[in-house]
Amino acid sequence: MGRSTTTTTTKDAQALFHSLRTAYVATPTNLKIIDLYIVFAIVTALIQGVYMALVGSFPFNSFLSGVLSCVGTAVLAVCLRIQVNKENKEFKDLPPERAFADFVLCNLVLHLVIMNFLG
Amino acid sequence: MFGKLLSTLLISFHLFAILCVSFSEENPTDRRVLVLLEDFAIKSSHSLFFKSLETRGFDLDFKLADDPKLALQRYGKYLYDAVILFSPTIDRFGGSIDAASLLEFVDSGHDLILAADASASELIREIAVECGVDFDEDPAALVIDHMSYAVSETEEDHTLIASDDFIQSEVILGSTKIEAPVLFKGIGHSINPANNLVLTVLSASPAAYSANPKSKLSNPPTLTGSAISLVSIVQARNNARILISGSLSMFSNRFFRSGVQKAGTTSKHEKCGNEQFLTELSKWVFHESGHLKAVNVKHHKVGEKDEPSMYRIKDDLDYSVEVYEWSGTSWEPYLADDLQVQFYMMSPYVLKTLSTDQKGLYYTSFKVPDVYGVFQFKVEYQRLGYTSLSLSKQIPVRPFRHNEYERFIPAAYPYYGASFSMMSGFFIFTMVYLYTK
Repeated sequence: MGRSTTTTTTKDAQALFHSLRTAYVATPTNLKIIDLYIVFAIVTALIQGVYMALVGSFPFNSFLSGVLSCVGTAVLAVCLRIQVNKENKEFKDLPPERAFADFVLCNLVLHLVIMNFLG
Repeated sequence: MFGKLLSTLLISFHLFAILCVSFSEENPTDRRVLVLLEDFAIKSSHSLFFKSLETRGFDLDFKLADDPKLALQRYGKYLYDAVILFSPTIDRFGGSIDAASLLEFVDSGHDLILAADASASELIREIAVECGVDFDEDPAALVIDHMSYAVSETEEDHTLIASDDFIQSEVILGSTKIEAPVLFKGIGHSINPANNLVLTVLSASPAAYSANPKSKLSNPPTLTGSAISLVSIVQARNNARILISGSLSMFSNRFFRSGVQKAGTTSKHEKCGNEQFLTELSKWVFHESGHLKAVNVKHHKVGEKDEPSMYRIKDDLDYSVEVYEWSGTSWEPYLADDLQVQFYMMSPYVLKTLSTDQKGLYYTSFKVPDVYGVFQFKVEYQRLGYTSLSLSKQIPVRPFRHNEYERFIPAAYPYYGASFSMMSGFFIFTMVYLYTK
């Protein structure tokens, strides 16, 4: 009885992954580019977190600046993805160019702040 | 009349010239010495000692100790640089000298040789006590030694002792070893071991004791053994030097010329060590040896020449001082390897031994510590027989100004890299996003 449940859970997990992967392949290319960008930002943030755990938080302002630049970039990219996704009913009337212009402006402000806080 | 005027002018000119040659900073050896005697017979019976002083250039002024015209100073200036007191039984000095004025004389930096003897007066004992030396209270006591007495035909009560327990110091007793023992006949004294300004130059042997030789010993004597000092020196904190001896006869010609044989030994010396011992000691007391001066204290940042008014933490600085020793006639470079400088604020933060170039210049360099406040460059040097050096120069130390910190912190390089990589990633992303179909 137990053995059959474990095999069913693993089979379910495998089926889940398979359906996720097939669904993901169907997404449009521009969304996949944004996803790649987000992954890059998060990985950079994680690397910085591990470094801080090893070495200590001596120039804390530099640490915050570095981590927040990665996290802020990721957040802005997520907002762009939401607004540009054609399947999203909420932003049906928003032109994608407007979304992209907002994204660029917000990133400019973010990087200005980061450069100032970096020390 | 014209001749009289000319002669008075010439005499006054010579007097001025003599006054200019007296004690001064440039020439620390004393020049004018007042010798107080009980009677002028001492002048001839101790003539060898006085002669040795006069050949070294001292102006000895012999006066009777109760001369009513005695004066140490006139109009506030001292007339003499040193005093030799060879009057052990004097009760009252004449003129304006008394115990207080003599002690004031020493306090103002001048030197003193004091010789007591059997039946020393209260006045002499009082002066000695003020200098840190306690003579035996019994007025009839003499130092007796039944083991180290000097073998002689005349004196059989063993009060003439031969001692060779000298202090080990080349500065005080000269570089040649004193081969023969020193003859001594007089009273003993003790010094307080807690007092580090007083030193025993000649002490009695462990078998000596201080008692009246004529009467039977009823109680054990208070002063015994090596605690009895026969000759002591005092160097005050203002570098005035005092020599106190319990015997006036050890300075006499009779003792200088006599041979000595210590009881219990077979070696007989033709000449006892008194003359060499006392000549070297008098050189030390009158500042012909062991006198140091420290001049030209300099400090500056490494690479610069001027002395700054303030240092910054973690600066590198150089410190130098010149130390000279008076040889009796000129200033010679002082050679030592244990001179240290402290960078001091409540406690020494840096303590460095100064290196020397053998010509009197002592130098070192160190890094200012990571503490700010008002520091002092302190040199404290006290060695046996030498004048003490106590130099101190104050200098403030400030923290970093806001633009003196390092511009880029190496520990934060990953964060700098991450932020710039995010910026370039954003740029590349916009390019890629806009130009893919």
